[in-house]
Amino acid sequence: MKTINFAIDLGTTNSLIAKYDNGKIKIYNNPLGLKQTLPSCIAFRGNRIVIGDKALDYLEKDAENVCMLFKRKMGTQDTYHVPSLDQEKQPIELSSLVLKELKNFLPDDETANSVVITIPAAFDTIQSNATKKAGYLAGFKEVVLLQEPIAACLAFANTSNIAVKEKEYWIVYDFGGGTFDVALVEVDERELKVIDHQGDNYLGGADFDNLIVKNLIVPFIEEKTGQSDLWKSLKSKSSAHKGLYFELLKKAEEAKKELSNFEETEIELDITINSEDLYDHLIIKREMFENLILSNVENTVTIIKDIIKDNQLLNSDIKRVILIGGTTYIPLIKKSIANAIGVEVNASIDPTSAVVEGAAYYAGSKPSELKEEENVEEEKTQEESIIDYKFFYEQNTRDSEELITAKFSGVDIANFRIIRKDGGYDSGVKALKNNSFSEFVPLLEGRLNLFKVQLLNTDLEVLKTIDPLSINHGSYSVNGQPLPNDICMEVDDLDASATRLERIFAKGSILPLKKKIYKTASKTILKKSKSNLTINVIEGKSNGLPSSGLSIGYIEIFGEDLEDDLIKGTDIEIELEISESRELKINVYLQSCDQEFENVFSESERSISINKINTEINTVLGDVEAVIKTANSLENFEYSNKLESIRVGLIEIQIEASMLQDDDISDTKFQLDDKKRKLIQEFDDLTRNELVAKEIEEYNDIKADLEYHLNQDENERFKTKYQRIIQNEKEVINSLDKYLIRSKIKELEELYNAIIQSSDENFISYYLGLKFYDNFINKRKAERLFEQGDKALEQKDYKVIRHVVYGLSALVPESDRQKRKDFNDDSKTGLN
Amino acid sequence: MIEIINQIFALESKLIKTGSNDYTRNFDRIASEFENLNYHVINPIGKPYRNEMTDVEASISGDLNKNSKITKVLKPIIYQIDDNETKLVQKGIVIVE
Repeated sequence: MKTINFAIDLGTTNSLIAKYDNGKIKIYNNPLGLKQTLPSCIAFRGNRIVIGDKALDYLEKDAENVCMLFKRKMGTQDTYHVPSLDQEKQPIELSSLVLKELKNFLPDDETANSVVITIPAAFDTIQSNATKKAGYLAGFKEVVLLQEPIAACLAFANTSNIAVKEKEYWIVYDFGGGTFDVALVEVDERELKVIDHQGDNYLGGADFDNLIVKNLIVPFIEEKTGQSDLWKSLKSKSSAHKGLYFELLKKAEEAKKELSNFEETEIELDITINSEDLYDHLIIKREMFENLILSNVENTVTIIKDIIKDNQLLNSDIKRVILIGGTTYIPLIKKSIANAIGVEVNASIDPTSAVVEGAAYYAGSKPSELKEEENVEEEKTQEESIIDYKFFYEQNTRDSEELITAKFSGVDIANFRIIRKDGGYDSGVKALKNNSFSEFVPLLEGRLNLFKVQLLNTDLEVLKTIDPLSINHGSYSVNGQPLPNDICMEVDDLDASATRLERIFAKGSILPLKKKIYKTASKTILKKSKSNLTINVIEGKSNGLPSSGLSIGYIEIFGEDLEDDLIKGTDIEIELEISESRELKINVYLQSCDQEFENVFSESERSISINKINTEINTVLGDVEAVIKTANSLENFEYSNKLESIRVGLIEIQIEASMLQDDDISDTKFQLDDKKRKLIQEFDDLTRNELVAKEIEEYNDIKADLEYHLNQDENERFKTKYQRIIQNEKEVINSLDKYLIRSKIKELEELYNAIIQSSDENFISYYLGLKFYDNFINKRKAERLFEQGDKALEQKDYKVIRHVVYGLSALVPESDRQKRKDFNDDSKTGLN
Repeated sequence: MIEIINQIFALESKLIKTGSNDYTRNFDRIASEFENLNYHVINPIGKPYRNEMTDVEASISGDLNKNSKITKVLKPIIYQIDDNETKLVQKGIVIVE
């Protein structure tokens, strides 16, 4: 049996859509905002229709072209005159537009043909039929109505699992943002029935915000500034304080919400009034707020009492009162009703979504009478209508707005709508002119902006969705000059006791470029010392060796340049800027010295240090020799011969360099640097694949180890984290960047350690492994620990084993320590 | 995290009022940390306001026209980048005049 499943709360001020799915209710969010609610408000702006939050923008300026509260007019002959279209709009048509917009909340792969729509208890047959008609007009094939108080009762009954055996009376108290309703519901084993209802169409939570502004905030401001008649001035149409009024209303609304949870709240005022700044705090106690709204709340309680009396019932006949509507969050309401009626007041259901939730439960149990074929037929006709289109737009741009132009041919297309998929832009529904449109869309800086374009007919039904159009901001444009190579900075790689390149700007980025990066000092440089900090900006492959790239900017900051000590671990802020003419500007700020260094480099000024050339060659020579040794031992003589010629070449450069003065003005040092780079690049190319292969092998090893442990039941909880780490595995491996792969290995190792340490038993294999180790710093201490360990193993006391393993590990000489010490010398960059 | 961003934003707005700019570096640094955590924070102050901007909740005083500008920002716009997909996680709350 197929059930309806979809439900809509078509409210006077706000509407929602939800779906029943296997016992659960999913309330859909507006894809253009973060809310579940859609204001039932429509603005007609010439050829543009705006529905929801953004329609409210026009209330002040163009109120006559904004339609709202039309639910109150359903089933009447009243129409709304829209001057901008010179048309009369009927409440049914307006409601259908809201319903269509709610359909847009559904993901692209879901369609709703049948729906349950809620109506107020007060709706008569004509009003109900009008609502049904609006549903059909919105494109639903099957519409079933449900009264709002019944929906609220269903939400309550389904979430609290209560069983009703005898006839009971419940009150549904619905206090929203703009309206107030009370319904008396009869509940028995089989059915729920609304037997009476009353309400006030002009009372809502928004009135309370105004009361806070008028009676608490305004007098406070007047007292502090000596201003008089501020309330009047705020509300006046020609007021200079218009912006202030809205700001204060927002603050009041927030304070109201806070006071539902706390005894007091603070309103922070930071305003300018008559060119004077006022910065102050106003404390509002819950009691003050309750005194303000008391008479309004008492009026609503009187309405409850009336409805009970009118139906010849006693307060004691009422089993419970269910609260819905956002305003019922206020504790005074619950307290006042409980005191006056003396029954259980239930606020357990979400007051904003209770109606749509209850309606969705109903939809989930209500069989759909729609035949399957009708759906199929519908899809067919849609497929058959052929729509041709062409889009013109810049796919890569640096502008903050971009023009999208499109041309269409096809039957029935009359309107279009463009939505940016991150939720930040909506063109609204606009009419096509001559089967085409041109629209400027705003872009998020530095991001890939994805758009969805909907094509609609005259009834505003979506005929086709084109998804996505992508515009990349800031990365490439036809007019700009792209970078031919990566621009990197040389930083220390403490793990490998070497330096490595960190990419700052990627190949293909468009000039001019600017970026601020933050590093920490990897060594302490005392003021007046000879020690130095090196900023080396390199053009070349980011996954290559630092010395294989072309140094385009090189700054050495010596201890003698410093006004204070540069302390290890403090921040170093480096701003790099490359102009369109490729001029490089480096600005360095040292936090611990509060000092700034600025250097500008251009081709003619390129500085190359003989010292640097020497250091780089020394570093690489060690590596080259090590690889030659391995190649020889594997009898791979062809390979070792190639490496040998690189070694000889590098030594020759070193000899030549040693004969030059650092202030040599000839081209020689540039030539030497060039030769050096080429040789190192050659070495890099010869060995890189091997190094990367090694990293990949290690990555796969640790992964296999981890998977072994993850397959054990007790480690189930670590699986999500594991999935998260390996999520972008393909990307990382394919990058062939050994540093990236290494960082993944590190993450996996950390997880591995966490798993091992989660259980004492995991330490047994470590313990047994350590038995084969014989290089402990203190052998006697190690022996004593092994005695303890063996005993614990016999007694199966694994906690002790864990401690023994920790103790033994501390006795293993830490070779890394020496390595790190060696590394902290002046030969490296000092950047971490 | 969103509340932390809001508080830092409020702090910065207050300091701007004092006229001192000693703290700019610190706020730039914090902004860069938010970017590293995949939060893209935008302060739309002074920008022209268009009704099509669904990333702000605007209180509009006076007439909305081509010259309408965002004159006060009570909360910044926050986008979150998740797996290369950008999502709005907080609408800016602004006053437009």
